[in-house]
Amino acid sequence: MKITLKFYTTLKDYLPEGTKDNAAEIEVEDGASVQSVVERQGVPTNMIHMTLVNGAYVTPGDFASHTLKDGDTLAMWPPLAGG
Amino acid sequence: MAFNEEQIRRYARHIILPEVGAKGQEKLANARVLVVGAGGLGSPSLLYLTAAGVGTIGVIDDDVVDLSNLQRQVVHPTSRIGVPKVESAALTLAEVNPNVRVIRHHARLDAENALMLFKDYDLIADGSDNFPTRFLVNDACYFAQKPLVTAAILRFDGQLATFRAYEEGNHPCYRCIFREPPPPGSVPNCAEGGVFGAVAGVMGTIQATEVVKELLGIGQSLDGHMLIYDGLEGSFRKIAITRDRACPLCGENPTIHGIEASSEAACAG
Repeated sequence: MKITLKFYTTLKDYLPEGTKDNAAEIEVEDGASVQSVVERQGVPTNMIHMTLVNGAYVTPGDFASHTLKDGDTLAMWPPLAGG
Repeated sequence: MAFNEEQIRRYARHIILPEVGAKGQEKLANARVLVVGAGGLGSPSLLYLTAAGVGTIGVIDDDVVDLSNLQRQVVHPTSRIGVPKVESAALTLAEVNPNVRVIRHHARLDAENALMLFKDYDLIADGSDNFPTRFLVNDACYFAQKPLVTAAILRFDGQLATFRAYEEGNHPCYRCIFREPPPPGSVPNCAEGGVFGAVAGVMGTIQATEVVKELLGIGQSLDGHMLIYDGLEGSFRKIAITRDRACPLCGENPTIHGIEASSEAACAG
């Protein structure tokens, strides 16, 4: 199945190579969890601040149990501290 | 307090708003707000809070104005390079609105001074530039029972939220969404990662809007929400966030019982 990744700010580095801007469509196995996508992209979990699946907030504790569906958009933000 | 004619004319566009009125303007005149950081976010935030007539505004920052600040820190003019930021900000703010009392704290916020300082204010606005300070401000606001309006920026992105985690019910804190500071060096600061100047203006101005709303008790609070700005896309998202029952600060079995612990955790991070 295909999902869309949207990674912001410093997390853009974890999108597939050659990605333009901050969004990429990737192929993952059916029923993949948020956790498996995080691991597949090599995103350190302490770099993830906010996670939304189709616009709904997912807590870090639910990464392993939250399974994705074909066409889902997984958006992630790093913590920001600049002022 | 009774407003004089100059003050009535100064605040006329506020007073005419049904949501503010003379009563609301009086509330602002009696309010005390502490702004943490007189930088990119603090600059617009301080300017609008001062123009709005917030009676007492504290500002804490241990830094001096640097040439590289001026691209976004609009409270500081070129002539004040080398001057402590709190001094520079106070001089500008006195010009904007002499009715406002600006209290300068030329110091770094730490576990020693945070609670003492916070107890003198009604609300804290965090525009600091590092994770340990942000965690410290969150924890100190929780223990001092002060509302917190926090904003952060990097590159073209901004985040903003209001926290009143000391209240009963679904009122999350900063740690509910982000437990511990990330390891030093893992997330760039503005000096390392860059920041688009006007993004500081966008987020600092929304921060001032939310602070004044909290003081007046009008509209929908951003308590329980995170507002995310994507400057490159030109879009905002408002996301509902919830209290994490496992939060080490405000959860069911907290492990952080005081500000010293939070400071250690911040430093260990």
